[in-house]
Amino acid sequence: MSSNVKGVFAHLDCLMTGIDRLERAGYDNMIVAAPLPRHEIEDALYKGKPSPVRWWTLCGGILGASTGFILQSLTALDWPMAIPGGKPLVAIPPFMVIVFECTVLFGGLATFLGMLYHCRLPTKSMEVEVCDPRFSDDHFGLILKDVDPERRQKAAEILAGAGAIEVTPTVSDSSEADAPTEEAPKPEEVTNVD
Amino acid sequence: MSNLTYGQVTKDIIRPLFKPSKLHALAILVSLACLSVGAYCWKVQLEEGLGVAGYEPPVMWGVYITTFVFWVGIGHAGTLISAILFLFRARWRTGVYRASEAMTIFAVMTAGLFPILHAGRCWYAYWLFPYPNQRELWPNFKSPLVWDVFAISTYLTISAIFFYIGLIPDMASTRDKVKGFGKKIYGALCLGWRGTDNQWRHYMAAYGFFAALATPLVVSVHSVVSWDFAMASTPGWHSTIFPPYFVAGAIFSGCAMVITLLIPMRALFKWEDYLTIWHFERLAQLCMLTGAILTYAYATEYFIAWYSDNPYEWGTFIYRPTGDYAWAFWLMVSCNCIFPLALWFKKVRTSLKWLFIISLIINVGMWFERFNIIATSLAHMFDPGAWVYYLPSKYEMGIMLGSFGWFFTWFLLFVKVMPSVAIAEIKEGVRPPLKADEEAAS
Repeated sequence: MSSNVKGVFAHLDCLMTGIDRLERAGYDNMIVAAPLPRHEIEDALYKGKPSPVRWWTLCGGILGASTGFILQSLTALDWPMAIPGGKPLVAIPPFMVIVFECTVLFGGLATFLGMLYHCRLPTKSMEVEVCDPRFSDDHFGLILKDVDPERRQKAAEILAGAGAIEVTPTVSDSSEADAPTEEAPKPEEVTNVD
Repeated sequence: MSNLTYGQVTKDIIRPLFKPSKLHALAILVSLACLSVGAYCWKVQLEEGLGVAGYEPPVMWGVYITTFVFWVGIGHAGTLISAILFLFRARWRTGVYRASEAMTIFAVMTAGLFPILHAGRCWYAYWLFPYPNQRELWPNFKSPLVWDVFAISTYLTISAIFFYIGLIPDMASTRDKVKGFGKKIYGALCLGWRGTDNQWRHYMAAYGFFAALATPLVVSVHSVVSWDFAMASTPGWHSTIFPPYFVAGAIFSGCAMVITLLIPMRALFKWEDYLTIWHFERLAQLCMLTGAILTYAYATEYFIAWYSDNPYEWGTFIYRPTGDYAWAFWLMVSCNCIFPLALWFKKVRTSLKWLFIISLIINVGMWFERFNIIATSLAHMFDPGAWVYYLPSKYEMGIMLGSFGWFFTWFLLFVKVMPSVAIAEIKEGVRPPLKADEEAAS
């Protein structure tokens, strides 16, 4: 049996309470599944740390701009026109159009790749607890990953106490049943359990 | 939308998918019939050559280029709604943006056919792409026609990815609602999306960047299309007002097309809760704004032509309203400047019947605007000895009809297989389910 704990929430405020209580109890390896992006979830879990996708966009844009400029300049210099009408071979203003288009094209493609990379998409191997059709409809999911057997019961209690409509394993479950072959790393000592 | 719940939203939007309906089937049949007319005309053109088009030198750009610009323009409203209004946080965008984005993709796909059709020997269409010939000579990157290739292909790529990204969470919702083979298809298309906090976080960042990239892109694309004309010294084309004037015109026609598409869709899918009069009024207001800019641009064009004191330029501008093409000119002015004035009355712009009629009028007017720019200038250039009167041949008109068939076939197939209102974004506009609310109510 999996060492994960899953709570299903029908209410956003209960979910936020659950996240908050679990964090204060020292559980930090959690996944929140939601049918829509909510800022409060992102703020609670990432504390305003921006997504690294922006670096992909920047690098893609710079790469695109340089590719566009180099492509045009080198091809113009490769076969210099005998009479360019007094105009420079490498002419900045008309080149800017293609430089701009390449910036957007490469920047967009890089953003897309960056998003797929950081979201780990495409994937077939998500935690089985996350794969719940309710999470794309009208419920929220809170999954704690690799919880120690002795702390699972406590986590389930916190989830149920926060207002989860369904908790796996159930709170009444005795935790000894699925204790063997536990190899998850030991979490640090918890001092601030309320 | 205040009384909706998340579950209701998912159900309402996915419900019409796959359900056969007679009206929808009939619409697809009509579109396919138009498409076959176009295909037949193209077959004739391939066999006989470009001579079957009504081209008469020096008018070598006619209906194909007109229709190309028309479809590129239609696409612009979709990106405006999906990207620019996203950055402006316009709430009314959520209901209409998916369908408008789909319209953008299919409109640009339609526009992309025309350079190929117009090339005559379409099997050489790949010559458009930037690669060196056998003597290692590269294309001239200072030519607006090469810019056009870059702009249109970038636009199609970026809009398609933007559209696809928006669809990912909604395809995941669809996957979780359908059974059997459909589940597999949507599961693969949404790439295994599960809406985890990590996924949403990067997704929203990427979405914002896409909106920021698409915003200047949409302005650049129609500017580049306008330079196809403005960079030439042809009287009536050689003007710096062209880029803003084309962009405003593009959004004007695109918003009209969004209205044309959404009004029947709303009735067919019973989406009165999602596409309300409020949404249509906002679209109508965009038409009012861009229509006013367009009318102002027409007037400015005349002023510049007169003020330039250039006899060729002024000659073309006198020729447009009084010469052979006066019918096209006055059709354009009445459809784009006069009839849309009715939208300034609230009664008209909140009546779906009138909105639908006016949107069709605007579509006609905007097609004639491009025809008016292209045909009159080419038919009446510098040398009076070469003046001609070009009229489209039946094959050109057939291919134009076919392009509408091609566009509508794609669009109609799309609305039956994909959620055409953004599920996740509509939910963002709905009050989230809160325990506190329930306790307060009980």
